[in-house]
Amino acid sequence: MRSFVRMLDFLRPYRGAVGASLALSCTAIAGTIAIPLLFGATVDAIQKGERSRLLPLALAIVGAGLLRLVLSVPRRVIAGRVSLGVEYDLRNRMYRHLQSLELGFFDRQQVGQLMSRVTVDLQSIRFFLGYGLVFILQNLLTIVLAAAVMFWLEPGLAAITLAPVPVVIAAAMRYGRYSRPALQEVQQRIAELTAEAEENISGIRIVKAFARENHRFDRFRRRVGTVFDQSMYATRLRAFYNPMISFLPNLGLAAVLLVGGRMVVHGSITLGEFATFNSYLLMLMFPMRMLGIALGMAQRAVASGNRVFEILDRAPRIKQPAHPRPLPAGGGRVEFDHVTLSYDGGTPALTDVTLDVAPGETVAVVGPTGSGKTTLVAAIARLYDVTAGSVSIDGRDVRELGLAELRHSVALVPEDGFLFSTTVRDNIAYARADATQAEVELAARRAQIHSFIETLPKGYETLVGERGLTLSGGQRQRIAIARALVSDPRVLILDDATASVDAATERQIKRALGEVMEGRTTFVIAHRLSTIALADRVVVMSDGRITAIGTHEELLEESPLYAEIVEKGMPRLGAALSGLGDSGIDPDERAAEAAPA
Amino acid sequence: MRLAPRPSVGSSGRQRLRRLRGVAELLRPYRGRTILALVSLVLATAASLAPPYLAKLAIDDGITPRDLHALDLIVAGFVASALLYWGATYVQTYLVGWVGQRALQDLRVRLFAHIQSQSIGFFSRRKTGVLISRMTNDIQALDQLVTDGIVTLFSSTLTLVGTVFIMLLLDVPLALIVFVVSFPLLAIGSAVFRYFATVAYRRVREKIANVTAYLQETLSGVRVVRAFGQEPRHEARFAVLNEEHRSANMTTVYLNASYFPGVELLSSIGTAVILLYGGFQAINGNITIGVLVAFVGYLQSFFDPIQQLSNLYVTYQQGMAAIDKIFDLLDTEPDMVDAPGARELGPIRGDVLFEGVWFSYDEDAAERPAEEVTWALEDVTLEAAAGETIALVGETGAGKSTVAKLVARFYDPQRGRVTVDGQDLREVTQASLRRQLGVVPQEGFLFGGTVRENIEFGRPGASEIEIFAATRAVGAHDFIKRLPEGYETEVGERGSRLSAGQRQLIALARALLADPRILVLDEATANVDVQAEGAIERGLRTLLADRTALVIAHRLSTVMNADRIAVLEHGRVVEHGTHDELIEAGGTYARLYRTWSEQAAA
Repeated sequence: MRSFVRMLDFLRPYRGAVGASLALSCTAIAGTIAIPLLFGATVDAIQKGERSRLLPLALAIVGAGLLRLVLSVPRRVIAGRVSLGVEYDLRNRMYRHLQSLELGFFDRQQVGQLMSRVTVDLQSIRFFLGYGLVFILQNLLTIVLAAAVMFWLEPGLAAITLAPVPVVIAAAMRYGRYSRPALQEVQQRIAELTAEAEENISGIRIVKAFARENHRFDRFRRRVGTVFDQSMYATRLRAFYNPMISFLPNLGLAAVLLVGGRMVVHGSITLGEFATFNSYLLMLMFPMRMLGIALGMAQRAVASGNRVFEILDRAPRIKQPAHPRPLPAGGGRVEFDHVTLSYDGGTPALTDVTLDVAPGETVAVVGPTGSGKTTLVAAIARLYDVTAGSVSIDGRDVRELGLAELRHSVALVPEDGFLFSTTVRDNIAYARADATQAEVELAARRAQIHSFIETLPKGYETLVGERGLTLSGGQRQRIAIARALVSDPRVLILDDATASVDAATERQIKRALGEVMEGRTTFVIAHRLSTIALADRVVVMSDGRITAIGTHEELLEESPLYAEIVEKGMPRLGAALSGLGDSGIDPDERAAEAAPA
Repeated sequence: MRLAPRPSVGSSGRQRLRRLRGVAELLRPYRGRTILALVSLVLATAASLAPPYLAKLAIDDGITPRDLHALDLIVAGFVASALLYWGATYVQTYLVGWVGQRALQDLRVRLFAHIQSQSIGFFSRRKTGVLISRMTNDIQALDQLVTDGIVTLFSSTLTLVGTVFIMLLLDVPLALIVFVVSFPLLAIGSAVFRYFATVAYRRVREKIANVTAYLQETLSGVRVVRAFGQEPRHEARFAVLNEEHRSANMTTVYLNASYFPGVELLSSIGTAVILLYGGFQAINGNITIGVLVAFVGYLQSFFDPIQQLSNLYVTYQQGMAAIDKIFDLLDTEPDMVDAPGARELGPIRGDVLFEGVWFSYDEDAAERPAEEVTWALEDVTLEAAAGETIALVGETGAGKSTVAKLVARFYDPQRGRVTVDGQDLREVTQASLRRQLGVVPQEGFLFGGTVRENIEFGRPGASEIEIFAATRAVGAHDFIKRLPEGYETEVGERGSRLSAGQRQLIALARALLADPRILVLDEATANVDVQAEGAIERGLRTLLADRTALVIAHRLSTVMNADRIAVLEHGRVVEHGTHDELIEAGGTYARLYRTWSEQAAA
């Protein structure tokens, strides 16, 4: 109930429009209610042979219709505007809120689930607020007004003929509540089926190589069976409720014929009144059903509201400090002072890490998966807050800095070289939308990607990402390096890609890194010897602690873990291959590259 | 984005015939139920047309002549028709749903089986997305046609025909006036509305897809967004997309706001005309008041079906386009079927031989002059004796994986031949070859399901002891035991819940359990952590022992442990021999080895 009231709050900016829409509805309903009365009066006039009244009555019916038209058009437009406005506001608000939340929040959320909040749940709220609410009031009003007129004409007959109304509404409400989730469940099953089919096509080589076609086929057939079962559940709901909802009002009509007919015979009502009752009942069929369905919709909207508020109420944990202090001048000294960091009070990802990196120094971070390498570098950009200790840049604790200034001073090259679906230029100028073409090109040159970009069909204006050109890992990485360079950061964080690349790419990346590292402090999460070779010092991590620091040569002597990593984890034949890359003969490989990861 | 492009309306007679044949074929197993569904549909429609007529009878034969007995009978008939409507609609809704879903189920299964029977070349030539779309979007479009479309088509047509018939029966001039006043306006208005609405709703779907895609992208890239502090830029962009969606949606609001009130107005005009003209006729005694009341009642059952039929056109078009695409796919013949008279390959020793093999991925390579063809393999002769491990070395695109694919007979060579124990692969059945052959792909592809199911994939019905033996042998047992639910742990979509190294180890166990005589292995290139690295190396050694193996090698240790090494360059085998021989020869391999050693020491 509380979230119902809070949902109504979304309508506040539109209260004038909501009021107008309601007022228009009421008047339009008056037109609707008048028509059966006029119809009855006409029937009576015909029975009495009053020719002269026919034309005025017919014109009155057309007039009532016109009144309804004139009022309905603006009402629909206004209600539509409110509905879409609420949706627009809510979606923007939700997005802004998501953007204000810290990275840690997203680590524990599945993207799919968040998406469903922002799309499915918002939809159900906006349908309810925009249409549902007006629907409920409008249909309720139609039923109440028609009932009032019927009671005024003949209370006894009204009571009998309207008896099925509550039952119809209740049935429609149950249907409205259950049918949608059942249909969504069907969609869910179909999505699973799709995933199954997709997996099979992606893994077709394995299926064929092991001659397991029959096995996969049986699995698929079982999944198809579950789609059938769920569809039949939805069908049974529909078969049960729909005909019943249509049937019940007929009982009222039968009562009009039986009881009303007798009343006409006994002279207590006129034939015209009888006809009026008949057409009111016909007219009410639709509002009864819609009222029920809209009420069912309201119940779901409240459930959606709860889920949406759950997110809107989650306060951001990494916020701009109240009084941000500027970053002092300096060359980018980074200090970790007894830093412990745990996500949500779990096992610490970093434990008591102390590290002092001099301005301009390059540090390679190595260690097994899950040893805390990524967390270590993320703490510098304050993507996560430390639990104890502090991280500072040029002597200033990162928590005292304005977020915008901090993140302009620290740039990240992510492992997967994530790019947005926009042009190459916009991707490089990401951190500084005002960067000139010359600046963008300079960054691209230094990242060793300029000449490649020049060969693209539209050069810097080529679209990349999901809906654009598919780039190789090495190309994406170098564009991501250029992107980091544009903001000329004091501290650069580089998460080196794990996949092996051929020798030519390896050389280019190495050259790019060499350029980029000049004059700034750099942290590299390294997976390649060639990258480690660029570093002044190497930090070896294990289980959230720094186990050794030193140069490559020192560590080979001192750290058995480092020696093991270098011996077993690093060398790759691919990097040694002297070829200059892909002659692009095998369409299978091309297809694999083009396929979404 | 679904929404079919406008299919060519002037479809050929043959195409139409095939559609019909296809649909008839799908329904044939359920013809009893289909007929029953049609019968109940007709009954339900007839029953739904009864009330206005019965109201007329009640007025003319019961109320006006003051015959209460007749009135009771008519009311009883009214209730009976309502009950019939209830029952028949229930049966019809249920049966149409049942038959429709069954037919779709059959079609899905058929499509799947058909796609699966295709050769690997078929999958390389087509995008996964297109094939998936056949199985999902197109089936869904058909679903809509089957469950909504066909029922609407039949019931609306029947209702319309029935209403027209009854109106004409009641009074011809009044009926004609109603038709003239309402039919042209309503039919044309609905068709126009439908046309614009389709366009408008398509735009709304496109715009909301943009919103969703942007949301999805910025949520996936949230790390980059936060790292560069670019939240305001994305908020602004999102607001723009959101606004575009809103304004596209406003178009539909305007459309609806002009159409539906218009229909309502037309209905009041219809009522007024009936009452005016019919009223004079009734006063003149030409028609009864009951007829008038019935006409007003039938006006609605005349309006509804016209509106619904005009909605149907789009559903029908999309459904037909879907049918065509699905049947086109079903009509493609599998291109690598076993040759007529192909033999079962008996238990093999495992001698693999490439004799002067030329192969191209171009489909028409065999017909064109050799100079014009892009060859993936040129005159490759290569031998792996039973039990030998051959390492294939070369740069990307040199033809290593092509060699591997020909051994598994995913493709046939255009010239020369590939033999196993002296038998040409084209002359044996594919299943009998692949039962004795194992493939370990580079990424360690796993299927959704448990660890056990994935390993068992190599040999269905393997006992627990055999599975454990396989995982122990490749060194996967220990880590599997440590997983939250051991062998019953779900690996996630394509094994996403496991690390690359773990996936690789499970793929090795899967291949070992299959115990193939010939093994084709594409070594992983992705880095895995130190522990997994060692385990994989040991696992590989176990797997390669005692069987013929072709390994696309990425690790030097693997190359050095191989019995022989083949170096490929531009589709040719340029060097062939043991490690020592090739070092001795001082060619490509020797140079490669030198670079590598230097790097390792760097």
